[in-house]
Amino acid sequence: MGILEEWNSKIMLFDGGMGSLLQERGLLPGELPETWNIVHPDILTEIHREYLDAGCDIVLANTFGANRLKYNEQTQYGLEEIVSAGVRNARKAVEAAGHGWVALDIGPTGRLLKPMGDLDFESAVSIFREIVEIGVREGADLILIETMSDTYELKAAVLAARENSRLPVLATVIFDERGKLLTGATPKAVVALLEGLRVDGLGINCGLGPRQMRPMVEELIRYSSLPVIVNPNAGLPRSEGGKTVYDIGPEEFAEAVGELIELGVSAVGGCCGTTPEHIRLLDQLRRGKKPPVRREKDFTVVTSYASAVEIGKDPVIIGERINPTGKSRFKQALREHNLEYILKEGLTQQDNGAAVLDVNVGLPEIDETAMMREVVMELQSVTELPLQIDTSNAEAMEQALRVYNGKALINSVNGKQEVMDAVFPLVKHYGGVVVALTLDENGIPQTADGRIAIAGKIYREAEKYGISKKDIVIDALCMTISSEPKSALTTLETVRRVREELGGNTILGVSNISFGLPQRENINSAFFAMALQNGLTAAIINPNSQAMMQVYRSYRALAALDEHCKDYIGAYGQTVYPGNAVQAKEQMQAEKILSPDDAETGRKRLISSVEKGLKDQAAAAASVLLETEDALELIRTCMIPALDHVGQGFERGTIFLPQLLMSAEAAKAAFEEIRKKMEMSGETGEKRGTIILATVKGDIHDIGKNIVKVLLENYSFEVLDLGKDVSPELIADETEKRKIRLVGLSALMTTTVPSMEETIRLLRVRAPWVRVMVGGAVLTPEYARTIGADAYCRDAMASVKYAEQIFGSSAE
Amino acid sequence: MMVNLQEIYRYLGIMGNRPDDATKKLVGECLEELERAAKPRSFSRSFPMSVLPDGSLDFTCFSVKSEDLKKNLKGCEEVILFAATLGAGVDLLLRRYTRLEVSRAVVLQAAAAAMIEAYCDEKNQELRIEAKKRGLFLRPRFSPGYGDFSVSCQRELCRALSAEKTVGIMLTESFMMNPSKSVTAVIGAGREELSCAKSGCEACRKQDCLYRRNEIQ
Repeated sequence: MGILEEWNSKIMLFDGGMGSLLQERGLLPGELPETWNIVHPDILTEIHREYLDAGCDIVLANTFGANRLKYNEQTQYGLEEIVSAGVRNARKAVEAAGHGWVALDIGPTGRLLKPMGDLDFESAVSIFREIVEIGVREGADLILIETMSDTYELKAAVLAARENSRLPVLATVIFDERGKLLTGATPKAVVALLEGLRVDGLGINCGLGPRQMRPMVEELIRYSSLPVIVNPNAGLPRSEGGKTVYDIGPEEFAEAVGELIELGVSAVGGCCGTTPEHIRLLDQLRRGKKPPVRREKDFTVVTSYASAVEIGKDPVIIGERINPTGKSRFKQALREHNLEYILKEGLTQQDNGAAVLDVNVGLPEIDETAMMREVVMELQSVTELPLQIDTSNAEAMEQALRVYNGKALINSVNGKQEVMDAVFPLVKHYGGVVVALTLDENGIPQTADGRIAIAGKIYREAEKYGISKKDIVIDALCMTISSEPKSALTTLETVRRVREELGGNTILGVSNISFGLPQRENINSAFFAMALQNGLTAAIINPNSQAMMQVYRSYRALAALDEHCKDYIGAYGQTVYPGNAVQAKEQMQAEKILSPDDAETGRKRLISSVEKGLKDQAAAAASVLLETEDALELIRTCMIPALDHVGQGFERGTIFLPQLLMSAEAAKAAFEEIRKKMEMSGETGEKRGTIILATVKGDIHDIGKNIVKVLLENYSFEVLDLGKDVSPELIADETEKRKIRLVGLSALMTTTVPSMEETIRLLRVRAPWVRVMVGGAVLTPEYARTIGADAYCRDAMASVKYAEQIFGSSAE
Repeated sequence: MMVNLQEIYRYLGIMGNRPDDATKKLVGECLEELERAAKPRSFSRSFPMSVLPDGSLDFTCFSVKSEDLKKNLKGCEEVILFAATLGAGVDLLLRRYTRLEVSRAVVLQAAAAAMIEAYCDEKNQELRIEAKKRGLFLRPRFSPGYGDFSVSCQRELCRALSAEKTVGIMLTESFMMNPSKSVTAVIGAGREELSCAKSGCEACRKQDCLYRRNEIQ
């Protein structure tokens, strides 16, 4: 009988703590516990044996902290030795006891993944892969991934386990007292992620005692279709004379865990501070108890690293704006690799009420896979909204799903066999909720019957992959009513019947309904209301459209989905000052502050808006002036004087950094208007030269570098921003390849200045012509000289000055 | 938590008390946004301390050589190791605005720095009251990176506190803390009550620091 079959018949019992037992036997503070696998194998086997004799079913090999970051060629013992000895010691105990299973125990790497930390996702996968490979070779019976506090690292570990073994994989995480992971995920989000990754059991361990765990355990059981594991600490820790002690004894522990078993937990055990005695009492407790009945929990949930969005009764808005179709400015941003533009599109939609962001970056002339991967990583570093991966390119879809931190929405699959064959394996491997279009080889059915039939076919095919109905959202398809008068009615009928007859969720790309008609928002918003009333559960719309969001918020209030109409009142309870340039412009014109006929007032307005750092007003003033004035003239008479004035004030100490930057951003907004105008008239702005900026390897704080970037761009320099934590090689490669004349490097800490020095050294060899300017909190002019820099820039204006020295000043 | 506005302005390089209206408004907005995003947590544990024959300080969980720290801990019989953080939510805001609105990022950065200081002071005060009940008086907190107390001691300090689990602080290879708005420190406890003339900024020997307190006017 395999372990999973055994689990079906009983409540499984894990072992208890290891660390404190090793300390009792002489492990010193700071000594790495896994080294005892080799130094004291007998002690390890003895402890495992004590747990087995106490009645436990699963012993954890002493491999929790074993990874290549701690055990490698440079350390006394290598990873291979440590892990194999760990598994062997446990195996020996199991053989001697005559019962039990050996779990390869995998804990966190101790490093945080990018973008929060400095460990690359694929590096994390490969670190875990090594452990898994050794564990499999040594004959572990299962893999337990535990004490994970970050969903991204958790995903890396589970992927490594599933991709490199056929063993059962269990995963437990550590919540804080607020019921969140270190990086913010709730139990609901963790369940969605782990179910998607197809683990065999999931749960909670460490951090808290059994009593404090209760609320999280309740949540896990509520959402999880998989068996739930609970391995608590022996209460909460406190310090006594420098030693950690836990606040509840074995009896109280067992009593509290017993209450959790009653809630429907399928496996229990102990973590820090627990002993064979704790486990013995748990064994008594679980004997004769039947395991809880497994039930499929019907929750459709997509997640990001920190948030979980449920698709069901309460309709969900998916923002459609990250998509180049029909948007020339967006296409241009993709071609110019202008990620800021794309991120801004995302955050604006978030501010306006989107719960999920659709991401489509397909453009024939760019590498969609690379761009998709990059945009997903960038977006998830600045927003907590879940993403909808929107592509028909299977490779781009796979790459995006792999690096995505959570359980994504996937757009889309349809009834064509070929498409299902490509998409479902990805959903099975990475998890996700997939949008299923009701069309197939024969096209789009004209009737609701036809669409319902395709939906049924898709459900059945998904079932073959173990993808349940809850992870499929049926797209009932919107076709424009301008060519097919009854199309809206067919769509609405399909939406209603998917809910009533199939019990499934639905989604629509709402705005297609009005294609070819004038004033499309009228039709879109009315249709949206009708669809919601027919049970639509998710809508892909433009959340920046007032009309659409009015329908959405009103519907939720009317359908009793918005308690006390809180969201409705929050959105419409007070009038807000116009927040964008278009509105600012209208307002200024209405109030006769600005008029195209009065250029002098306009110029003054532009200059003062830039100086005061008023973004919308600066853009509005520029836009009005450009109706009559020449763009270059505007730069000469307004922008340069305003920027110079602010810059000089900063140097004199009368203007400070926040004002300098607000001005810079206002100038940027005005320049954007100027650029638009110049493009329309076919002019191109002169760039004064390209500068590379980077924060050096090992340094993950890039605020200083970004300040410099904003200012340099305003002074018409082209900036190639290589980001943060950038290797010397990459900086040298780009500098050499593009024949760059000036490189700016930043470093925040004394510990990262050496990599700045190394970068400069490499640049001197690979690109001897280049000048290097450096800055950062720990640097001084002397320090900069010692590491071989050409210039030390104490602040952003100093970088501008130095750049002008290299490339010539703007007056020339 | 009372965040000191003057400290925010100092971090922003605004000398004296002359922030313009736009900056004041931005600081206010940033504080509000921070209040929502920050999830402060702290943890501390006390350890016995002694001076080893080679002059290094021993806290049983690790030992360290640092003259400046030794001066700070003179006459102490135990140390409280301390860690505090504003949490990962603040870093999301910083990352977001660093990419998209750097003026706000700069102000958030300064406001968050003042906020974590205020939070540490608050927790520090609680520890002080607790210690006093045991007849102990606390020295000013001293962090890795101050004076000759090497920043690489972060590793041992975080390990001794299981900082990863207790408050959620992790270190990068170059000893940067994650979340970035975090503080770790050693706080000495002794039988003698010393009136500390200098603490924090003023005790530092780096006289040419841009952000140095008091030398500003």
